[in-house]
Amino acid sequence: MPRLVSKYFGELDYSTEAAFQFPEGIPAFEDQTAFVFLDQPQTHPLVFMQSLGNPGVCFIAVPVFVADPAYRPDLSPEDLALLGLSPEPLPQIGSDILCLTLVTVSEQADPTVNLASPIVLNLRNRKGVQAIQPSAGYSVRHPLLAREDLVPCS
Amino acid sequence: MLVIRRRAGEGFLIGPDIEIAVLDVSPTRVKIGILAPGALPIVRKEVLPTRQENLAASRNAPPHTIAWLSRKLSQCGAG
Repeated sequence: MPRLVSKYFGELDYSTEAAFQFPEGIPAFEDQTAFVFLDQPQTHPLVFMQSLGNPGVCFIAVPVFVADPAYRPDLSPEDLALLGLSPEPLPQIGSDILCLTLVTVSEQADPTVNLASPIVLNLRNRKGVQAIQPSAGYSVRHPLLAREDLVPCS
Repeated sequence: MLVIRRRAGEGFLIGPDIEIAVLDVSPTRVKIGILAPGALPIVRKEVLPTRQENLAASRNAPPHTIAWLSRKLSQCGAG
């Protein structure tokens, strides 16, 4: 079983089937074309999108429904083609594709997610893309926690 | 902003090195060809906010922040 060096969890074993190919990388990281998605019990429901090409490149992600239970992706024909999917029938989240959103955390501000550009994974051919969908009306800096969640949840 | 009307097959030049060609026009889209020096970055405008956000999201997250966020999301029944 191959090993990877991860940014947050040290060395880990992974199966090659767990790797997703991003033929175009993602914006600003175009040269990173293979990622594994690490869902560790101690950090669930966070998912760590770890680059296989560079241990220092790792993003924190969550499934889109964690950020917005009513989320609807709006994939462009180009992104569907890149993923090897056809627009009809519409790919279903959970069975055909997985949809994650990248989290930005900082000491100064509340955590936000980029709902305008979800990470979309085709579970059948293990291909992934960051789908830029500016017309869907989602923000690149959507608050991850609702105001009332910043104090203990009811 | 300078506005130029062009038909499919026509083009224009920006300085000595950059050529923009209108290749095809449909009711909703325009196909554009760009000839420019390789060192010149060309990005789709809508990609820019995501590019900046990806750089911010790739910054190192302290372990206590990761632990706090994971706990917060589990508490809220999102896990």
